Amino acid sequence: MSLQWSSDLEIGIPVIDSQHQRIVEYINGVELAHQHHSQKELLVVLDELVDYTLSHFEFEESLIEEAGYPFTKAHKKVHALFTRRVQGYQQRAKAGEDVTEELTHTLKTWLVNHIKHDDRDYTGVVKDNMNEATKRVKAKSGSWMSRLFG
Amino acid sequence: MSRFVWSKEFELGIDIIDHQHQRIVDYINQIYDISLKAQGTCGSVEVTDADTADLKAVLASLVDYTLSHLAFEEALMEEAEYPELSEHQLVHRQFSELIGSLKARFDQGEEVSQRLASVLQHWLIEHIMTEDKRYAELVKHKLLGIEPDKHRHWVQQALSRHFQ
Ligand SMILES: [Fe+2]
Ligand SMILES: [Fe+2]
Ligand SMILES: [Fe+2]
Repeated sequence: MSLQWSSDLEIGIPVIDSQHQRIVEYINGVELAHQHHSQKELLVVLDELVDYTLSHFEFEESLIEEAGYPFTKAHKKVHALFTRRVQGYQQRAKAGEDVTEELTHTLKTWLVNHIKHDDRDYTGVVKDNMNEATKRVKAKSGSWMSRLFG
Repeated sequence: MSRFVWSKEFELGIDIIDHQHQRIVDYINQIYDISLKAQGTCGSVEVTDADTADLKAVLASLVDYTLSHLAFEEALMEEAEYPELSEHQLVHRQFSELIGSLKARFDQGEEVSQRLASVLQHWLIEHIMTEDKRYAELVKHKLLGIEPDKHRHWVQQALSRHFQ
């Protein structure tokens, strides 16, 4: 069964939400490849999924680090653990093993749990930090505007 | 055994850890519910294919999620320079091996779900109430900047100043 994106998966930071949504699409792509009985398609989607997820993790990690999220290191460790697991499946798939059922189950439950619990935990800190940054930019451009047009 | 009812006394006061613990409790309860349903009303065990599939999925999620939680916790302790980290890690490793082997036995067709649920339930609550509680203060202090004892002390001082 494909994973439906729904508002209860949103954490309220649009840039992160759209990245998560993309990951969900890749997971569904893995399942689709399986339905097509295409090992070639599966390996391609799996590669894309891993690449995209890695860059998403990197983005997210720098975001929370910058915001001073107190559990950044632990969050990173959870990402690393998951990455290793998925890469393990990827290797087994490359070796010709049919791992799709186990893999998609892992991907779906992991992602949903991680978004709903681990990611949601940093939302407050990151949002505060973003608001502060916006205020600073506005204050700056405000004074610049008034100097120019005041 | 009975269904695991989460209560406030199990909380460490670190939201994310408390949520993770509750999530693990959810999974344990799911195992319990499925095996209870399979047991039926007249005591005969009748495990349908659907139940087996459900259990398999829940077990896989439980193992995954628990491993992730333990790693998260270890990272917190490491960052807070918790002096008993290696002992705590050892306990975690023993637990990981335990659930890993129970899952493996289940995958091989052994009927272990009831036992699994009760073993996990006991282990988890014991662990939270003893070993996890021990690291909580340090992590709150070093990572979250919360100093409950000093704060309480300060409040007490303020109160005694006011009400002498
Ligand atoms: Fe994350
Ligand atoms: Fe714990
Ligand atoms: Fe622990």
